[in-house]
Amino acid sequence: MDYRAIAEEVIKISRKKGADLAEAYLATGRELSIQVRNGEIESIQEASSYGLGLRVITGHKLGFAFVNDFRPQSLEETVDRALNFARILTADENNVLPDDPGVSEVRGLYDPELTKVPMEKKIALAREVEALALKVKGITRSAGARYGESEGEIILANSLGLLKSYKSSGCGFGVGVVAEKGEQKSSGYESCQRRFFSDLKPAAEVAGRAAEKALRMLDPLPVKTQRAAVIFDPDVAYAILGGIIQAINGERVLQEASFLGKKLGQKIASELITIVDDGTLEKGLASAPFDEEGVPTQKRVIVENGVLKGFLYNTYAARRAGLKSTGNATRGGFNSLPGIGPHNFYILAGKAKPEEIIAATERGVLVNEVTGYGINPVNGNFSGGAAGLWIENGKIIHPVKGITIAGTADEMLNGIDMLGNDLDLNRSRTAPTLRIGSLQIGGE
Amino acid sequence: MNDFLRELKTLDRRKFLSLSLKGSLALAATPALVRSLLAGEAQSLQLPDSLLKKAIATALKRGGDFADVYVENRITRSILLEEGKFKSAVFGLIRGAGVRVIDGDKTGYAYTDELTEEKILRAGEVASYIATSGKKVQPTDLKEQKRPSYITVKIPLEQVADSRRLEIMKRAEEAALSYDPRIKMASIDYYDEIRERIIATSEGVLLRSSLPLIFFIVQTLAVGNNTSHMGRERLSQHAGLEMFELFPPEKAAREAARESVAMLEAREAPAGKMDVVIQNGWGGVLVHEAVGHPLEADNIARGTGAFVGKLGQKVAADIFTMVDDGSLPNFRGTTDFDDEGTQMKRNVLIENGVLVKYMTDILSARQLKMERTGNGRRESFRYYPIPRMTNTFIEKGKDKPEDIIASTKNGLYVQSLSGGSVNPTTGVFNFTCREVYLIENGKKTVPVKGATLIGSCLDIITKIDAVGDDLDFGPGICGKGQSAEVTAGQPTVRIRGITVGGTRQRG
Repeated sequence: MDYRAIAEEVIKISRKKGADLAEAYLATGRELSIQVRNGEIESIQEASSYGLGLRVITGHKLGFAFVNDFRPQSLEETVDRALNFARILTADENNVLPDDPGVSEVRGLYDPELTKVPMEKKIALAREVEALALKVKGITRSAGARYGESEGEIILANSLGLLKSYKSSGCGFGVGVVAEKGEQKSSGYESCQRRFFSDLKPAAEVAGRAAEKALRMLDPLPVKTQRAAVIFDPDVAYAILGGIIQAINGERVLQEASFLGKKLGQKIASELITIVDDGTLEKGLASAPFDEEGVPTQKRVIVENGVLKGFLYNTYAARRAGLKSTGNATRGGFNSLPGIGPHNFYILAGKAKPEEIIAATERGVLVNEVTGYGINPVNGNFSGGAAGLWIENGKIIHPVKGITIAGTADEMLNGIDMLGNDLDLNRSRTAPTLRIGSLQIGGE
Repeated sequence: MNDFLRELKTLDRRKFLSLSLKGSLALAATPALVRSLLAGEAQSLQLPDSLLKKAIATALKRGGDFADVYVENRITRSILLEEGKFKSAVFGLIRGAGVRVIDGDKTGYAYTDELTEEKILRAGEVASYIATSGKKVQPTDLKEQKRPSYITVKIPLEQVADSRRLEIMKRAEEAALSYDPRIKMASIDYYDEIRERIIATSEGVLLRSSLPLIFFIVQTLAVGNNTSHMGRERLSQHAGLEMFELFPPEKAAREAARESVAMLEAREAPAGKMDVVIQNGWGGVLVHEAVGHPLEADNIARGTGAFVGKLGQKVAADIFTMVDDGSLPNFRGTTDFDDEGTQMKRNVLIENGVLVKYMTDILSARQLKMERTGNGRRESFRYYPIPRMTNTFIEKGKDKPEDIIASTKNGLYVQSLSGGSVNPTTGVFNFTCREVYLIENGKKTVPVKGATLIGSCLDIITKIDAVGDDLDFGPGICGKGQSAEVTAGQPTVRIRGITVGGTRQRG
């Protein structure tokens, strides 16, 4: 199928039927998922798929329709549906489409070799990571291993003359294991995702880490409810970053539903903290040459030495705010309108080695699991379940499970007093190990 | 692509998002229906039986124990009213088919967006490669069946003009904004869909069905002196537009607004172990997470779940009975039959503290040699079915809700929860509260900030020591690699000694 021609045709039909502006977002892709358990294949899923999302604007009113049936009469119906929907909505002069023909140069988004790697090798990788993890002393069961890959192309065209496309790929594998001791069960999971098959970590490294995660949490001891230092492992960076990402969403800021909305130019975090949003990172899992409505991506500093420098915008929210889009339009797929979100979003590395942070901690917890919703983007409140390793006098002395940690964004971000040097940019939302000097811990 | 990466990360973590749905009131007369003038909408999904039969034969040509074809057509509408504007409206038209082969413990699956003979048979061919055991099964001839439905519709969605949907949203917005001057913004999300399914299996089952679904979400932002709070209320049923007669949009809006204003006064929550009373309704998410997920039979068949080997054993307090029932009329978790064609029914999982049943799909029922409970569900044709909950709840008890509070000296009263998650292997769960009050000397007193509750599933169900007589339900979305519509329910219950993640040190 000539997907470009379909995208252009849909725009042409939309204009003919009365749309002032029209945009087609067409996604095509292929996926493969392999699950293995106890050495046997548990499932294999393979498929190709495609879909088109059509945005039309008529009289500043916005309509949208999506379809995965590309027969001419279905495409025609899609246009009618979008236009009929648009006509009953509220006019908003901020409903515009971008016209910047530029694309950012981003290397390493697509691995042409991925399809050429034989299926047997992919199955073998899932089997190997599971077998190696099960070999580790103390590991009693597999919770399953997985290999997955996908690749696809995004084609974006609009009636202002944009026609852009790019291909991307991704692959990954992981394993879950269980360590049992008497009545105790402890689980560990580790995975690795990359753009290129040849960049995947060795199975032994992933297997070893999964096993270590299960084993290190055996024989936990309770701790008292108290205030103490809380160290966030990079595995749980999302617990801090998630709330910030929502709070710097430009539309949320306009709605006054963000705890950071009135803090532009102000200190919101410790001077150690610089946060970057980078859509152009080579081989980055959240990189792209243009955002999901066609605006070129950027690398931007969001927080610099603790000071809030900017918010994230798509075309609509930027126009409302009297600004330019920052290239942060995101979509859940061809079936959704552009929202706002980050690309590769990370806290820059500090200087301390993770073991130095532990050694410098008199009493506290190295948290490696956080549950819950993270920082509330509206009011900055935070409360989560947690598990990790208890530290006394600079040494890890026992695991701790079933505790809670709680505070406010202000207390947490400004309370960061040590920052690790262990930033891993192979993850799309990440931070180095970091320590908050004192936080409320709920226990016995 | 991002979807699969996300899935890899969340291999064994289940997320649940939901909100409360309470009470019901009669509604004013329904305005006259307006027929949709657009063509195509009422067209049913048509595929000849001969093609379905061919696809099953293709799927089983290399052997295997079972094969099925699942064909789906989904028409969706989603409209957003926010900041006083109808900001966007999204219309969706998605169709496709998936073919599955089960060979022993193995599953092969492939799907296509194109409902052509060539593509459907190609999917069957791809799925067929999983079969290597050499076992062969002769497919039974397809025979179309008519089954009882638990979903009745008075005002079919396909006959409703879009303007009526907007009108309902407007009513919710007005009710929210007029509730209190501190309500600064209302956001109303309206979603509905019509999902047509064809299920054909190598056991001769052939079923066709069409189900409507409405999901209505009101969010309100209250701004106080130093803080803000977003309140939320959701309504959902497999029903036509008459759902809003049973659950008026104004009532949902006022409930969201009430929560956001009440929580402006929230003080710091205490930290540590305490007694917790959870209000009736959607709080049933607690058992959904803590007990429901570990009772899904895929974990049991794999031998990794927290309840492995515990069938017939006493696992909970005598007063604790838990049920999953996919046949409750028009509920969000209800369908006529599941996505494998198994009829929905009431399944008692834990009866007076004794574990009596796991929730199965066809594969796990085969593996465990247990009955099919009607829990084989899938998000869409892009996924193969796995065991999922439907409408899951704690059965009502004998205590009066007011007596439960009065007999709790000090603790927390949880009026609503945002959601939670569980690690099904270890049974460790967490919940985030939305609206919480202190209980002091047997009385519900001041609101406190939304805290996290954590615990372990085997522990928590032995600590429930009071169960009210006021069973109610709330709608939600359950995620387990793929999402499913569910409800969770419970009467008012008390749990002794649960860890609460507040910011204030007690004593």
